[in-house]
Amino acid sequence: MADSGDRRRFIYNLHEQSKPVGAVRWLPSVSPFLRLAAMSVLSPPAIEIHSFSSQSPNPNPDLNLVSSYPLPSSATSLTSFKSHNYTLIAASTSTGSLHIFSVNPYDGKIESQIISISDKDSFHCGPIQSIDVETSSTGECATAGEDGRVNLVLIGEDKVENFRVCESDGLVAYTAVKWGSPVEFVTGGVGPGLQWWDKRRPGGPVAQFKGVWGHGTVTGMIHSLDIHPSRKHTCVVGGSSGAVYAWDLRWQQQAITLAGTGLEAKSQPFSESEVWEVKYDAFTPQVSSTKVLPVMMCSEDGFLAVLQQDERPVQLLEEPCAINSFDIDPQNPSDVIVALEWESVGILSRGREETEMA
Amino acid sequence: MPGIPSDSSSLIPFALEGSSQPPPVYPLQHGLRAPIHRIHISWSRGNLLNVTCLRPPPDQQEEMAREDDGIGGKAIEVLLGGAILEGNIGEHKRRRIAYESVKSYAFLHDKKISLAKMETGDNLSAPALTYWWQYTLEYSKSIRDILGNARLHRPLIEDPKNFLKPEEVEQPIGTKAAWELMEIFYVDMQLLSWLPERLVDWLEGYDSLLSKTETVHSKLAILQRKVTSMRVVEDEPGYWNGLAAALAVGWLDVVAKLLRLHGSYDPDQFDKRETENGLVEAVVLLVSEMPRMRPNLPNGKLGICYQTKHDYIKGLEKWRVKVSGLESSPFWVHCNHRPTRDGLINLLHILLGDAKHIADATSHWLELFISHLLYIRPLTNGLEGMGNLAEKCMNLKPSANNGLTSLLAGILSENPEIVLADCLKAFGPWIVAHAVDLLTANSEYTDGLLNEERYQLGGASIGELYMLVYAQALASHPLTWQVAPAYLSTCLNQGRGLLEILLLRQPVQNYRVVLKTLEICHLYELGNISTHIMKMAGMYQWKHGHKGLGIYWFQQSRDRTRLSQIAHKLFDNIGKSLSDDSFKQWEGLMELLGSDVGIAGGLEFLHKYREFKRSLQQIVNGGTVEAAKKSTELLVQLMRNPSTPQRFWLPLLLDSVKLLEWRSGPLLGVSETNLLLGKLQELSMAKLRPDFHGGELKPNALGDVRLALAKNLGRAILEES
Repeated sequence: MADSGDRRRFIYNLHEQSKPVGAVRWLPSVSPFLRLAAMSVLSPPAIEIHSFSSQSPNPNPDLNLVSSYPLPSSATSLTSFKSHNYTLIAASTSTGSLHIFSVNPYDGKIESQIISISDKDSFHCGPIQSIDVETSSTGECATAGEDGRVNLVLIGEDKVENFRVCESDGLVAYTAVKWGSPVEFVTGGVGPGLQWWDKRRPGGPVAQFKGVWGHGTVTGMIHSLDIHPSRKHTCVVGGSSGAVYAWDLRWQQQAITLAGTGLEAKSQPFSESEVWEVKYDAFTPQVSSTKVLPVMMCSEDGFLAVLQQDERPVQLLEEPCAINSFDIDPQNPSDVIVALEWESVGILSRGREETEMA
Repeated sequence: MPGIPSDSSSLIPFALEGSSQPPPVYPLQHGLRAPIHRIHISWSRGNLLNVTCLRPPPDQQEEMAREDDGIGGKAIEVLLGGAILEGNIGEHKRRRIAYESVKSYAFLHDKKISLAKMETGDNLSAPALTYWWQYTLEYSKSIRDILGNARLHRPLIEDPKNFLKPEEVEQPIGTKAAWELMEIFYVDMQLLSWLPERLVDWLEGYDSLLSKTETVHSKLAILQRKVTSMRVVEDEPGYWNGLAAALAVGWLDVVAKLLRLHGSYDPDQFDKRETENGLVEAVVLLVSEMPRMRPNLPNGKLGICYQTKHDYIKGLEKWRVKVSGLESSPFWVHCNHRPTRDGLINLLHILLGDAKHIADATSHWLELFISHLLYIRPLTNGLEGMGNLAEKCMNLKPSANNGLTSLLAGILSENPEIVLADCLKAFGPWIVAHAVDLLTANSEYTDGLLNEERYQLGGASIGELYMLVYAQALASHPLTWQVAPAYLSTCLNQGRGLLEILLLRQPVQNYRVVLKTLEICHLYELGNISTHIMKMAGMYQWKHGHKGLGIYWFQQSRDRTRLSQIAHKLFDNIGKSLSDDSFKQWEGLMELLGSDVGIAGGLEFLHKYREFKRSLQQIVNGGTVEAAKKSTELLVQLMRNPSTPQRFWLPLLLDSVKLLEWRSGPLLGVSETNLLLGKLQELSMAKLRPDFHGGELKPNALGDVRLALAKNLGRAILEES
């Protein structure tokens, strides 16, 4: 099946949390010695910031809770970003509210909640399953909900505005959203697959991909999307039945399967359960410029692996419980943080020993 | 008075006849005035109990109601403790143990299954059995690690005054002590020959758990606190008591350390104390040379190990001669310090196994028992001998029993049922569920006893029953329920049923939770349960207006009944309104339903139908002949198309009447009229069938249509001829 990676080059530390963790995200850090990570805690619902020192002589640095902020209900999606030299965290909840916090980048303290939107009529009336913030220019936050609504939240200087992009009256349940460019974004959901939206052409998606999962024999939901900033036309998708595929806007009719029984049942599945999150992995070297860039995925059956087109998957972790979420540090792509079902958080550092030896 | 519990307002659990202990009483502060009229009790999630207390209705007690502030009742939540493990560890620690132990448990059971397959139904052969206890030992050790490793923080520079074990990172937990005790007696076959020494080691680790105040450990802890402030330790009776206590239970390293605190070792002193010092040192030497019947000693522990009984007895005799030689030595006369002399001689008596001195030095019966094993009957082997000894010690030193001591007594009485029952009572369901494999590892008798199917337990065995109890405890918590299936799947009789119930009970609101539940169904090949769950999820989402998600789940579960119901409802609504908004809805729904539903050509039909309706609307509002012709064309197309559902024939025919009655000549030709007549005929035939779905119709609707068609046919024939 999968190559089980060269474990000797990894440092993996598990940190017990004594509370269920939903999502984890690295925060941009100003100091190379103090690393910060945000996590959404499910009961009682809250956002927590943890710190750990990455350069200490102790090989097992502890995660220390720095600050926490309660949420009205459990977080469904979490994202961190930088805007005008502020470190911000955005979180959406299962009751349809959006919260944005500013975090002190030096010590990780949550300074204030700068935005909190919750409106059943004009915003969302059910769980917001996914959010994504466009950071390169507009700073708009796209929210996709199970209620079939997609909204854009514009965070202005002194006011917050939100626009309804789509109201499907529950015909579609959106489960994932990702910006491709300052004016385009992709949504994924239950039913009709992927939609490509363009703000300049309102009224509906500009392109759609209707993938039928394994000929309708297995469940097919999209859980996560990612778009690489250098290849804005390609969107990588993770969903049910271990399916990970890439959809290229230029060849809309067929997708490239990276893993899973997925769209055509030719390849041996790596994992057969839900792929909860996918992300482009900048650490793994790219084999060929014509192929899809390396993608990392985590699954319900406890795998963390890197997938490449036409290559065997490289397995990084095999946990006895589900990996609900992971994040690759954008500043330091060798480091991955994972949230495990059994109330713990793991930090995986790749290749550090090798560099020390060199 | 509100807020103050009194006898009249506390709830007392029902006392069982014949129970030895009085039932515990937990007063609930419900804050209502007596009398309480009614009490409702119901289980909430997990260990939460909902208790509702109601006062009499006001019409019966009007006067009282007037005095009151009007509270007629109250609902209280009561959290009952002791869920998975004993009470002194935190909730999150318990969950951690539950998560970690499932791996070891599943591994052992996989091994069991693969071994059973290898043996193919025959009794386990001898080599398989020897493997088996080794597997069980591995399992036991991994569980022991989960319960907490005694990681010691050793100080870099040891303080000579710190004689007690360095503070452990975490307090030893009783569950671990109980687990180790069972491992000692039931699993590790290699260690049987030095069982007494293993018990000595065990007591060293867990002495503090026997009782809060009455133990050697507590005595030494007090001494440890005082010793730093003591100037002349040998003058304190506590010092000598502590020494005797530590020696009695065999903590030789502690004894040696303590003795070296003796004042005679002090280099700057005025008196001549060489003899005294020599005697102290002689005792230290004898203590550190004590023969011990065990293969090895951990680092820092004192004594000389003997592997075989023969060597041990020889060594012991030699050593005893030395001890009694020192006891009768003439040097004692020269020892001027009386407490030292008495204390040291007392220690020698203990070393020689004087029962009275040993009894004085120990506090708890278990300590006395260990000390007998160590000094008086070091070769005791077999549970019967130990059991008799334990009974004797209990009589000599009656001390309050707790979970651990009754567990030991149970083990020594060789009754596995009592052992498990005691464990359950003292340490909760976790340990019992995991310990069944320990108890059965080496004993066919116990295996038979615990795994025999019993009629009065509904076909389950005792072992399975304990497993089910633990699984229930796991299932009652939203964070641990996912661990429960691993245990339920090993229960052959009732496990499957309970697993199905557990899975069906999971909430369906959150699709991620549903997917996680389905994953477990997939793992245990419960296809019908996953279909059920998907149907439930579909119903929930559909009811809450999430049509897309609802239809998705129905499609996944292949629920044709509900899908075709949705489709029928959809078509029923289509005729009623044709506004753009609702049309978009239908379109979307139709797309979602796809070709899965029994209604063929769904979308195509919908678009044509709408086009026809629109053009008809124009004609009614006064349209041209061209418009009317186009509309007629659409009608004929719809009628010819086999994908047009039959239920739309009649509405379409009724609509056609408007076209048939077009004032400036017939719009439909002969063949087209015949087509419509044919459909009408088919429809009137179908009407006789019981499964006909006609909707609401005017009674003579069919007649009207027939008349109009006949008229048109006439006109058309005339026109064409």
